[in-house]
Amino acid sequence: MKVMDMEDFFSSKVRIKILKTLWQVGELNISGIARRLGVNYETTNKHLKVLENEGMVQHKRFGRIRIYRLNEHSPKTKSVQNLLEVWER
Amino acid sequence: MSPYRSVFKDETKLDINYVPYRLAHRDRELSLLTEFFSFLLRTPEKMTQRVIITGDVGTGKTALCQRFGADITSEANKRGINLRYIHVNCREYRGSLFLGLYHVVSVFQPNFPRRGYSPEELLGILMQILDEQKVHVILALDEFESLVEREGSEAVYKLTRLQETRLNKPERISLICILRKLEAIEHLDASARSTLQSNIIRLERYSELQLMDILKSRISLAFKPLTVPEDTVSLIAELAFSENGNARFGIELLWRAGKYADAEDLDTVAPECVRNAVSSINAVIRKSDATSLSLHEKLLLLGIARFFKQHEKAYVSLAEAEQAYAVACEEFEVEPHSHTQLWKYLRTLSSLGMVETEVSGTGSRGRSTFVSLPRVPAYELEKQLNVLLEEEKS
Repeated sequence: MKVMDMEDFFSSKVRIKILKTLWQVGELNISGIARRLGVNYETTNKHLKVLENEGMVQHKRFGRIRIYRLNEHSPKTKSVQNLLEVWER
Repeated sequence: MSPYRSVFKDETKLDINYVPYRLAHRDRELSLLTEFFSFLLRTPEKMTQRVIITGDVGTGKTALCQRFGADITSEANKRGINLRYIHVNCREYRGSLFLGLYHVVSVFQPNFPRRGYSPEELLGILMQILDEQKVHVILALDEFESLVEREGSEAVYKLTRLQETRLNKPERISLICILRKLEAIEHLDASARSTLQSNIIRLERYSELQLMDILKSRISLAFKPLTVPEDTVSLIAELAFSENGNARFGIELLWRAGKYADAEDLDTVAPECVRNAVSSINAVIRKSDATSLSLHEKLLLLGIARFFKQHEKAYVSLAEAEQAYAVACEEFEVEPHSHTQLWKYLRTLSSLGMVETEVSGTGSRGRSTFVSLPRVPAYELEKQLNVLLEEEKS
């Protein structure tokens, strides 16, 4: 899959909110993220796939449940974490 | 009174959740428990263990288990063995296997979703987590009776025969089941019972002298030197002994007596403080008992207390109690539970000694249950429950 341009990536408020939520709580399933963001499951799932494709998040599977967390090894994730540190703390 | 003057050095040492480093008069039982689980320090993934700890209220079942849990975990850590001790009070989870297991899963995986799967799936998920993290768990199921009562043989079977569906895989979960009386598991089916009953540790009631030792060791931790005279210790030990050798009662009494001493600005905890404390404990239900009640048990007890406050009667029928309970439910904006459920709650309240029940004898049609509050003034009880329920609501 084609890697996203930075402008396209940061154009989505939902994606930023997902990253911020996972940065705050660590690990969460899709419904949990959707509930915290106030958006529906499908939208959350779609954006998580984008983030996963960018290597910024990763998931573990427990039966039918997928638990997402930030991929700490991704330089892109690290740069967003730095931004969050500056803006949110 | 100066707010800074106190007989206490550290009153947290008298808290119900405090577990002392050394448990007086439980050395033998602690060694036995350690012996049962010694394989975990040598071959942690090769076998599991199941132990039952039984004994009356205040005989140190929970403290023994938690002391053991802390000791073995620290020893395992020193040896580089990944071992976790997890203590679950089944009654806090209303005897539900699902909620108990959910608590265990959330220890390893915080924010794990609460809905969308069965207890079996949850058990599978837990095993997956334990396999991934290569950890062995000692799961202590306190107040095991409530799990047995709600879930029956099926749940016990699932927990104890877990490994049979995982042949040749590392063994992960050992169980300690803590209960007051072994009769509680008698009605389980034979196969579930047989997996449990091989290792039983019975805790006998403490003698008066043993209670003295226990109180003295807590006094040295919680009170300033020379603030608790020998007479006071003897009096508390005697009272705790008359309460079936209940050490928890003795420790709570000690704390309350200390509070009375502070309130009266005394240098020492005089026997009179103990007498005041005893009358206050009998006037209301013990804090530890009342907080462990479920929401609907509290509401039922509140209904009963209000009935007695309004009527000059010694007994309330279950039907009348049910009406008063429904009013309490309405006040706290919860849906009342069914009659059968109330009957179970009443049995719990009765087994904790908060109410007494009596079934009508011959001379009347059918059988009715009558409830009384033998020791507790209804007014005080209502006040205490209102505080607890308001806390729970907020």
